[in-house]
Amino acid sequence: MRAENYEARNHPPSNEFEINFGPNHPGIEGNYALKVKVHGDEIVAARADGGYLHRGFEKLMEQRLWIQNIALVPRICVPDPAPMEVAYSMAVEQLCGLEVPQRAQWLRVLLLELSRLAAHLFTFGGHAATTGMYTPMFWGVADRDLLLDLFEELTGGRVYSIYNIPGGVRRDIPDDFLTRLSDTLDYIDSRLPDYDNLLFTNQVFVRRARDAGPVSQAQALDWGVTGPNLRATGLAFDVRRDDPYLVYDELEFDIPTEQPGDAWARTLVRRGELLQSIRILRQVIDRLPDIGGPIRAPIPNPLAWNVPAGEAYVRIESSKGELSWYVVSDGGDKPYRVHIRGPSSMHAVQVLEHLVTGCRIEDVAQIMFSLDACPPEVDR
Amino acid sequence: MNDAHLPVERLSIILGEVKEVRVTQKGPRRTRLDVAADALPALLELLKGRAGFVHLSAISCVDWPDDAQFELVYHLWSYELNLLVSAHTRIDRDPGVYVSVYDIYHPAGFFERDIHEMYGVFFEGAPDMEKFILTEWDGPPPMRKEFDSEGWVNDHFDWQDYRPDWLLELEAQGGGVMIPPDEQRFSRRGIEDNDDAG
Amino acid sequence: MTDTEQFPVRVEQPDRNGGNIFSRVFDELTAFCRSRSLFILHYCTGCGAIELPPAMTSRFDMERLGISPMVSPRQADILLITGYVSVKTLKRVMLTYEQMGSPKYVIGICSCTVNGGMYWQSYATAKKLNDYMPVDLYIAGCMPRPEAVITGLRQLMDKIAAGEANGWEDYYRRYDYYLGHQQRLFGETWQTPTDVIAEARHYGLFGPETLGDHTRLLEQHQAPLEALEMQLGLGAPDEVKA
Repeated sequence: MRAENYEARNHPPSNEFEINFGPNHPGIEGNYALKVKVHGDEIVAARADGGYLHRGFEKLMEQRLWIQNIALVPRICVPDPAPMEVAYSMAVEQLCGLEVPQRAQWLRVLLLELSRLAAHLFTFGGHAATTGMYTPMFWGVADRDLLLDLFEELTGGRVYSIYNIPGGVRRDIPDDFLTRLSDTLDYIDSRLPDYDNLLFTNQVFVRRARDAGPVSQAQALDWGVTGPNLRATGLAFDVRRDDPYLVYDELEFDIPTEQPGDAWARTLVRRGELLQSIRILRQVIDRLPDIGGPIRAPIPNPLAWNVPAGEAYVRIESSKGELSWYVVSDGGDKPYRVHIRGPSSMHAVQVLEHLVTGCRIEDVAQIMFSLDACPPEVDR
Repeated sequence: MNDAHLPVERLSIILGEVKEVRVTQKGPRRTRLDVAADALPALLELLKGRAGFVHLSAISCVDWPDDAQFELVYHLWSYELNLLVSAHTRIDRDPGVYVSVYDIYHPAGFFERDIHEMYGVFFEGAPDMEKFILTEWDGPPPMRKEFDSEGWVNDHFDWQDYRPDWLLELEAQGGGVMIPPDEQRFSRRGIEDNDDAG
Repeated sequence: MTDTEQFPVRVEQPDRNGGNIFSRVFDELTAFCRSRSLFILHYCTGCGAIELPPAMTSRFDMERLGISPMVSPRQADILLITGYVSVKTLKRVMLTYEQMGSPKYVIGICSCTVNGGMYWQSYATAKKLNDYMPVDLYIAGCMPRPEAVITGLRQLMDKIAAGEANGWEDYYRRYDYYLGHQQRLFGETWQTPTDVIAEARHYGLFGPETLGDHTRLLEQHQAPLEALEMQLGLGAPDEVKA
């Protein structure tokens, strides 16, 4: 700063000041900002500020062919990309009236649940790190990497799989893939006691997370909270069971719920979902070899594919909550309109602003991670 | 209410009380409603109060410049009936003003704010119409159909140089980039232009 | 123009091809030490950031190379641009870059930093990172695997040890060029709190291209810096609650 520009200012005599949480802040999930007004240690006002990850997906997709968009869609949510592909493919299939072969549906379930596992492990690590415990983060990320290896083997990509296309999936499972999947699941199962000791029953974590950012069930419904955050308030609702898609109605799984609706409950619900995902994947391992048939339905020449005019609204349970896609076609070779409703667009804006107000400043990061807000989904 | 009714029938009984709504069954759990713009808030209130449609899943906006209209779609979910209802309504593109449903559904706050900055539709009575994503954007609302994203990019950004010296050397030896991306990218546009001319 | 002009500042310019043999040995030692202790600024600008946790944690363990994350730009050496930068982010990235102490290195990860990548049509993202700041190294890929990230970092270490990673000097020498691109995107009134021209004189990196048309434009619009006003009203969240 130049000397002539410097001007000592008389600041108002108060202990109130404004802090920018992010975008460049380790306590914020991703490139996102939260402006908070602090009175001492207590936050008296908060305002979310997004758009740092805005790429204009909805506009981009209107400019590309239906098939080109497949490569684009997983980028919308980085930690949990698979539901995006599946939802988009399902929307296009609804528009065209394409029937997806059974085997492809099972493979999609496999991909979705693997992705959910990976996303939850990542979230545990992030949440633990905000309470000052870095070991769960190191372990969680390293264990997630084993799942990424499976992704790579199955789809060719570590993070962005681009595995689904309208009509089915791109390729079948490699030889002995299910054995390796089973081994990895056994390994993650065997790690859970360690995670329990380290994180879920650790008094350092429990005392920090309990009563942090509580949401009642009425508030949750009022604010449009979905997914694990809604189940943490005691409402057993899961799109997979109550609005089933793919083959989820043939699978057995429970819906873990907790009552208090605070950060602790949200984490416990995710831990329960981790177990349920493993249970679903084991069922897939059992049944997949018996399901034969093709892995994708024939589609017209994708470079000159005019999808019939119409609209489709697809809902999916992603690891963060209810993900829905509204796709409109006017009969052309490109989508006419795509609207992506990410679960975080509720959690990271209105809900986060509410929950943060009134809490202490050290809990801000924890609350954001416990909501599992995913900024790229908000900004699109 | 009689629980013996199937969810869809319960919904149709409630909708029978409303006039000027066109009901289309799109699937086992999907119902489309077309309703006039002035009747929509009352319909949403009825659906929330009588049929338990407490969850506003999303508000989507579709631009129809040929009709000079915006289509607003309110996707509602009922945790009681396990049904999804999409209420469609159309408003004039100019001036593009509608009423906010924030009093009925709080999630509407985010979606209306988003539609405001992406399409320029103003919602009267919304608590917050400030920009959220495009705070540093001075162009027109980008999601409108007349906004040319590619033209904007050409005006505001330079493309990477795909013919640097070291690549020319490689090309002399028979390697390099087969088709430079700048030729690839606008090829489609060129073909369309030629077709129009022909 | 600035106060720093009134003080004689003696600047030693390293002469890599000759000069005093002791100073050369010392320079090489400095470069070697620098390359062995690097701090990465913890700023996740885009999707490539998802591959950094695996690269930093138990599996690939970046710390064995002497690289670890750092939370403050003032103490960081490397600015990793992990993927596409939207215009809104790019402003923050520029502020962050100018706050970092020299020598500083920029690595562009992911194809989006090279040429816009998948988002070449997007109105919201910058296409060519090296228009706005000097980039020492690009790691292409969508997204690059942790192995690629680590290989890239090792190449940067080699470049630093060899004294070739001098992008930050270029920012001072050709400030007008970079400022021009920033002004084109952010508007004519774009101004950062850092006085890059005075810093260029101070470091002895003031070159013929430091000043130009764009810096003249900056002079015209430059306003004295003022503390930011508080923006949040206490009433706002209560209104939402009701």
